[in-house]
Amino acid sequence: MNSTSEENEPKFGGMDRRTFLRTLAAAGVTATAGAAFMLPGTNLMVMPNSKGYLVVDMAKCMGCVSCMMTCSMVHHGEASLSLSRIQIQQDSFQSFPNDIHMAVCHQCEDAPCVKACPVEADHIDIVHGNIRTIDPGRCIGCTQCIDACPWLPKRLQFNPETRTVQKCDLCANTPYLDEKGGPGGTQSCVKVCPTGAISYVEKMPKQHDPYAYNVNLRDQGWVELGMTDKDFKLKEG
Amino acid sequence: MEMKSRGYGGHILHLRLSTLDHEVIPTVRYARWGGGNGLGTALFWDYCKDKTIRDGRDPRNVVVIATSPLCGTMAPSAGGRCEIVGVSCGQYPVSWFSRSNIGGRLSSNMKYAGWDAIVVSGKAPHPVWVEIENNHVRYHDAGKLWGKDARQTQLTLFGMLDRQNQGWGWQPLPGKKDEMTYTTQRPAIVCITPSGENQSIHATLVHDAGNVSGQGGYGAVLGSKNLKAISVMGTGSVKAADPAALVRARFRVKERYAPDVHNPNLQHWGFLGNPMAINFSGGVFHSTRRKACAGCIMGCRLNFDTGYGNESKCQATAWYAHFALQYTKGDQQKAAEIAMRAGDYCNVMGINTYSFSTSLLWMEKMWHKGLLGPGKKIHSELDFSTLGSWEFAKAFVDAFAYRRDIGELFGDGIVQGAIKAGFEKEWRGGELDHPYWGIPAHGYDPRAEVEWGYATILTDRDINSHEFNALYWGLTFNVLQGVPPLVDPEEAATIIAKKLQPYVSGPECMDYSDKNIYSDAVMNLTRWYIHNNRFWKNSALFCDLRWGDLIDTNAPDNIGATGDPEVGEQVYWNAVTGDGIGFVDGLKKGHRTFVLQNAIWALQGRHRDMVHFADYIYEKDLEHTHFPFFMWSTRDENGIWRYEDVMHRRLDREKFEDFKTRFYRAEGLDPATGWPTEKTLRELGLEFAVGELKRHKKLGREA
Repeated sequence: MNSTSEENEPKFGGMDRRTFLRTLAAAGVTATAGAAFMLPGTNLMVMPNSKGYLVVDMAKCMGCVSCMMTCSMVHHGEASLSLSRIQIQQDSFQSFPNDIHMAVCHQCEDAPCVKACPVEADHIDIVHGNIRTIDPGRCIGCTQCIDACPWLPKRLQFNPETRTVQKCDLCANTPYLDEKGGPGGTQSCVKVCPTGAISYVEKMPKQHDPYAYNVNLRDQGWVELGMTDKDFKLKEG
Repeated sequence: MEMKSRGYGGHILHLRLSTLDHEVIPTVRYARWGGGNGLGTALFWDYCKDKTIRDGRDPRNVVVIATSPLCGTMAPSAGGRCEIVGVSCGQYPVSWFSRSNIGGRLSSNMKYAGWDAIVVSGKAPHPVWVEIENNHVRYHDAGKLWGKDARQTQLTLFGMLDRQNQGWGWQPLPGKKDEMTYTTQRPAIVCITPSGENQSIHATLVHDAGNVSGQGGYGAVLGSKNLKAISVMGTGSVKAADPAALVRARFRVKERYAPDVHNPNLQHWGFLGNPMAINFSGGVFHSTRRKACAGCIMGCRLNFDTGYGNESKCQATAWYAHFALQYTKGDQQKAAEIAMRAGDYCNVMGINTYSFSTSLLWMEKMWHKGLLGPGKKIHSELDFSTLGSWEFAKAFVDAFAYRRDIGELFGDGIVQGAIKAGFEKEWRGGELDHPYWGIPAHGYDPRAEVEWGYATILTDRDINSHEFNALYWGLTFNVLQGVPPLVDPEEAATIIAKKLQPYVSGPECMDYSDKNIYSDAVMNLTRWYIHNNRFWKNSALFCDLRWGDLIDTNAPDNIGATGDPEVGEQVYWNAVTGDGIGFVDGLKKGHRTFVLQNAIWALQGRHRDMVHFADYIYEKDLEHTHFPFFMWSTRDENGIWRYEDVMHRRLDREKFEDFKTRFYRAEGLDPATGWPTEKTLRELGLEFAVGELKRHKKLGREA
């Protein structure tokens, strides 16, 4: 289940994974109270989907990294690009639109990072809309979750001070945010972004598709500002 | 509270180039200066042992690159500016201790690396570049970088510094296991180019594609020190005293002031909420993105799909546009493409485009008159018949970068070159429009926009501070768009005057009619302007193109964000530093910095008799500017406010001298000389400067 393309996904009695899980659910075999569990007799982990996702528009980002600084500020009380759960990379010597890359956690359907965690620190948080998140109190800093993340740059970060790993929790655990975070609440990166280049959606983007989390968030207003609303096929993953 | 817990990196790095070593200075010693311009001035005072130098290329000069507690945070449009101070070069008659500023990612990386400032002193025995990786500092030989332009230099260093060859994925930085740190980011590199190496006073410092420190000739200053580049990689953090308050204020300022990108108001007045990119090339480039410095609330630059012009803005996009339009016979788009390439090339070659803002027009005139050309009074082999073409732009910029052809004569300054070639009369008469300190007018002539001129001549360089100038641009755009002014003149003057309390008592400070421009009200507005420039703008490092925000039509009552109790500058400062200061407290800090700078200028030889505009500002009416009008608020004898064209006038020498006397007195400077008095120095906590001024007989006399 660590594969990165749908073609390589294991089939279950001729069904793909999503159909298989839906069938299990219909049969009453659900993840108890939303938690992930191993399907008896298999190496399959069953986990409920996150109730929210971040998507980005890489052609709309202006590289101010306000999202990164705000992300680490609401979580840690300090601004740091290394402690940000969203990563913006830029190279001003490249031409638009290849000059900026945005990377968000996919809250993956099959969450390889959760499966890789040997101590269940990386887990499904049923209280906060099934986000994939890490309990820093349990994390032993082995970084197997980072290795398991199929995307580059990796969507989990190693904090060298605490020697634990962190990842995007859609702002569920944010001691320095006045508002309620998590699915259904505020996502700091979305709220701070000056151009609206990050959006929160409830529908799961297509999994294992490196283009699926980069969407076109530009509208007529953007065009009035003199820029383009053209679609660009840019890999977010 | 520890410095580290309130926005500071905690340390200042002193690069001692002559011995190729460094020392670490605890920032706590300089805490009262805040950052940026104030911090840099204080460090210059301590580390420059001979302040009588009059040209920044003197090896005794000290340059300070300084951040603020807000750098590296998302304080709106304050997270990415970086201040540069030191004795400048290329000014006339003296190159003063001056300042410049650069955007992008440099200051944020310095902060993440734990450095609040970098002091550069001495001269390296051979070309070097400096690698800073958190607290690790290394000198490297720059022999192979010498001669490379800004792009080549940075791309070469990016390649060398990507040691793991991971293409900037999560990059472990070298260190022992316990010190291992990670980043996805590229280092921030600031470098000089051949123009700096050749010590042309037009040489800039360049960071990334288009972040440029133009004025002051600091590229030449670092060139004279054999310092090719500084690379900074920081993986740490900036801690805030009250993180939740910082987040709250950033969200709130976006709600109240930031442009609505879904429904932009293109007629908007003000700077914080300005939705427009600042591109004056005159062309239409749709396949672009907005590009911003770290932490900006709305990027003012563009990145393009054309392969050139990234991060260029304002003057860089404008300097060649007129000539290109002439050359292309009115083909606006083709001209714009040439203008963008020319601007980009100045950034690549590290040339200050402001140097050409009025001088190229003058050179064209000299060529038409037969005074410029091969073997002429101004010798040049450049083919001025192709002025406006890309080929000419490249040859012209190269000439200045390599100090050859016309760049040889003007390599130490445009006015200096004109005088050398026998054109002093043309400069003094205004044909060569350089009204103050031998530098070109910014486009806001002292005869029209008086506060800009006053503050420039009373400080050290083109003040380049747009908070009042926002009124000019708002009005100008409304005129060009054919719509009535969005804010009526009395309301505008009243809103602005309230922002300036307690410096001014009422809206008369915004009356720029002929009779009022020398008044105490305008004098006090000028004092506020300089103090704001010295602290909030260039020490706290709120970007000039977003702050101060005096009028802003994005707010329902048109009242800008500056000093606002919820979203004003002091709110972010306090959230990060925990200082608990008011907006006016910041202005007082600006005053202190300004007085210390006056002490440095006095040591450099300044006397009030030198503080005057070029003769033509007093002797000729203003007849030309960007547009055929220059609108500003005025009030007549009956107290009726209106917007009026304030061109077609000149300044009165005697009245300005009287203005200066009152200004010096109000600032605690000796009106006879302009030098700081002992009483003022002691009152402001600058008693350390008394002895040095006394020794040089430059201490002002008490009134």
